[in-house]
Amino acid sequence: MSTQQKFTGIPYETALANLRAKTPELNGTLPEKDVLLKTFHPDHAETARTTLTVGANAGDFCHPDLAKLLTANPLIEDADLAGAENMVTDVLVIGGGGAGAAAALTAVQEGAQVIMANKLRIGDSNTVMAEGGMQAAVGADDSLQRHFEDTLKGGHMAGKKELVAQMVTDAPSAVRWLIGLGMSFDTQGGDPNGLLVRKKAGGTTAQRILCHRDFTGLELMKVLREAVDIEPRITQLNRHPAVELLSDAEGRCVGAVLYDLERRKLITVHAKAVILATGGSGRLHLQGFATSNHYGATADGLVLAYRMGAKLRDVDSFQYHPTGVAHPPHLAGALISEATRSAGTKLVNGLGERFVDELQPRDVVAAAILREVREGRGVERDGQVGVFLDTPRIIAEQPDILQRLVTLGHIAHKCGVNPAEEPLIIHPTLHYQNGGIEINGNGETCVRGLFAAGEVTGGIHGRNRLMGNALLDIISFGRRAGKAAAHAEPAHNNRGGLSHVHNFQRALQKAGVKSEGKAPVLYPNYGTFDWKEHAGLVCNID
Amino acid sequence: MSEEKYKLIIDGLEVEADKNDTIIQAYAKAGKAITANVGCMGQGVCGSCRCLVRKEGERSAETKLGCETKIEAGMQVSFLDYFLPTHVHHYDMNKVGDGWNWLEEVDETFPEAKNCRHCGGCDTACPKGLEVQNGVAQVVMGDFSTASTTFDECVMCNLCTLACPEHIRPNHLGLFARRMKAARTLRPIDLMRRLQEIDSGKVSVNIDAI
Ligand SMILES: Cc1cc2nc3c(=O)[nH]c(=O)nc-3n(C[C@H](O)[C@H](O)[C@H](O)COP(=O)(O)OP(=O)(O)OC[C@H]3O[C@@H](n4cnc5c(N)ncnc54)[C@H](O)[C@@H]3O)c2cc1C
Ligand code: SF4
Ligand code: SF4
Ligand code: FES
Repeated sequence: MSTQQKFTGIPYETALANLRAKTPELNGTLPEKDVLLKTFHPDHAETARTTLTVGANAGDFCHPDLAKLLTANPLIEDADLAGAENMVTDVLVIGGGGAGAAAALTAVQEGAQVIMANKLRIGDSNTVMAEGGMQAAVGADDSLQRHFEDTLKGGHMAGKKELVAQMVTDAPSAVRWLIGLGMSFDTQGGDPNGLLVRKKAGGTTAQRILCHRDFTGLELMKVLREAVDIEPRITQLNRHPAVELLSDAEGRCVGAVLYDLERRKLITVHAKAVILATGGSGRLHLQGFATSNHYGATADGLVLAYRMGAKLRDVDSFQYHPTGVAHPPHLAGALISEATRSAGTKLVNGLGERFVDELQPRDVVAAAILREVREGRGVERDGQVGVFLDTPRIIAEQPDILQRLVTLGHIAHKCGVNPAEEPLIIHPTLHYQNGGIEINGNGETCVRGLFAAGEVTGGIHGRNRLMGNALLDIISFGRRAGKAAAHAEPAHNNRGGLSHVHNFQRALQKAGVKSEGKAPVLYPNYGTFDWKEHAGLVCNID
Repeated sequence: MSEEKYKLIIDGLEVEADKNDTIIQAYAKAGKAITANVGCMGQGVCGSCRCLVRKEGERSAETKLGCETKIEAGMQVSFLDYFLPTHVHHYDMNKVGDGWNWLEEVDETFPEAKNCRHCGGCDTACPKGLEVQNGVAQVVMGDFSTASTTFDECVMCNLCTLACPEHIRPNHLGLFARRMKAARTLRPIDLMRRLQEIDSGKVSVNIDAI
């Protein structure tokens, strides 16, 4: 899976002796932020960027692997739709992570009937994996303005100001909404009428991360999934990935084509409005990186929306989380929460030196680690190279820390490491899709009838997301998209077809782009899935 | 890197995988289309990789999360597909009362809960090692605080629900208790203040200040 260039480092035993020899000091060799990012951040690698030649973003930069998918052949053709069963609803939500669930629940509150289609099961998503928490400026020493400014600066000023302002203002009421649905947040001393526990994230100027221990996403998704499960006005179609959108003669989105994995058949769903909430793209393993993402994160929403004419932004910008597991190899990419760093855990190279302020924004810390690795100061164990996450020292200083960081103990255990004695070896892991579909404050895309929310969208986190802003994003914009979609004007004639696909293919042909492969890919390549084969439509007698 | 290989059987298919692989990683090497029974792929939080595992030479099978279980030579694994049970306990968070009638509400929504026969099936099934049976008793007794803690780390894999002969759906009962408790009692003072400041227009964002 990994095509990444292999580097060598300082052998584990030597590095460990170096770590134990002294208290690591910041070595002060880090270059200027801009130089560091340009030289070491994966987004700036020569192989990380191409220019799109067709579609709403013609002329814009895009990651080459993603560009290939955006210009790939569709999975289905008109003929495949003959005889497909049809369903009708007010709002079709595609994707059952946090954004999809928030959208579906809100659309129902606004009086709509909803169908929710999901590739895996509802909840099997990036949302359930979130650990650290969710940002909301509630502290007396904090303000909406600071949240706004931190978010924009963290994103290198590439975010859309209006969207960011709206999201940070929504944050307290988003938390209140979640509590109303029964989600717990940690409070100081456990007093339900006390102050919320607030953690600090890399790149923020105040303690602003609200959490449920260090499995916030699990708590959030458990509650949202249950609420959706018992809501009679939501029809859930699990294991029904969307393979294409449906357009009417005016180019409006009027539904989608789903593949029913149980019955191995296509079905169409016609709707007044469609909300794409399909999440990110970590499982594309861009640049050969391991990933923290769930199995279904394959950029399907971007492919579907782009063919339909929606505009994307910043699709050459991805987040590599600094602390992915590097060793043992079979756990490579698994996430160690940023909460570990925000609790004060230090990063140390093979020479026993601290090389970066651990609470810098993620792209800076990740680039700094990649620099150590590339320049030979990493730690090498069984062919894997990374740097140390100095858990023994933090545990010695704060003996109760593992009670607060439950998942840290959990992952150390899986790595076969006693974190009080041995440090973990970490390496950046592909974590988040910074860019995505352009939306306005109501989650509307530039295609009528098509809405989007969550990680599939762009413009909020700019070119680097701060910890805790994704969970806020999915609730804030999930709810807004759900509400707006419920009130969307119905199309004049909602017989949907694939004319948008044909138009796009003609544009490709005209531009001389040769389409390769098929998209959306639905599962990572090691999922060995081919829908025609799965549906029994190809003859494979050998 | 050359690693020692183990052979095992997953859903009837013979698979060869590296000694350190988890069941999910071995499954990915089985070469068949994988469209289910995997979600978070290793974090152990989504509960979709639930399976029955029988180790070589053992007579009984155990329930496990496939992404958290390392393979062993001769292991037999079968994934338990997820199903939406016909028997769902419906309730409306907005309609349940102010908290004085918790016991009645539990009884109305989960009438089977009081029939727990202490068979321990749920405890045996739980791959997270939670004290599920105790948790059920705690909810029935109205001790929602303790029950909330008991079910805190539940990943809703539904294995206890599959195991329960009384159709109690212990994890859903536990989640009901957790939801009620948070929804009715969690009123953080800093959040309330900030909401009031926003609602009264006292604070807002100036987008031109930056
Ligand atoms: C390990 C990890 C830790 C994280 N920690 C934090 C944190 O502490 N704080 C924070 O703010 N953010 C965190 N994030 C980021 C955050 O969790 C995600 O960005 C966010 O939850 C995305 O939500 P979503 O609803 O947009 O997408 P998801 O939750 O990923 O949901 C998308 C859903 O759509 C489904 N889908 C995909 N394609 C299709 C298709 N073709 N048809 C139908 N369904 C489809 C997927 O299977 C999935 O269920 C973390 C992410 C990871 C991976
Ligand atoms: S309590 Fe039930 S649903 Fe929760 S983890 Fe244990 S077996 Fe799974
Ligand atoms: S399986 Fe059901 S009946 Fe048996 S102990 Fe658990 S809750 Fe009680
Ligand atoms: S794949 Fe999520 S718990 Fe195993």
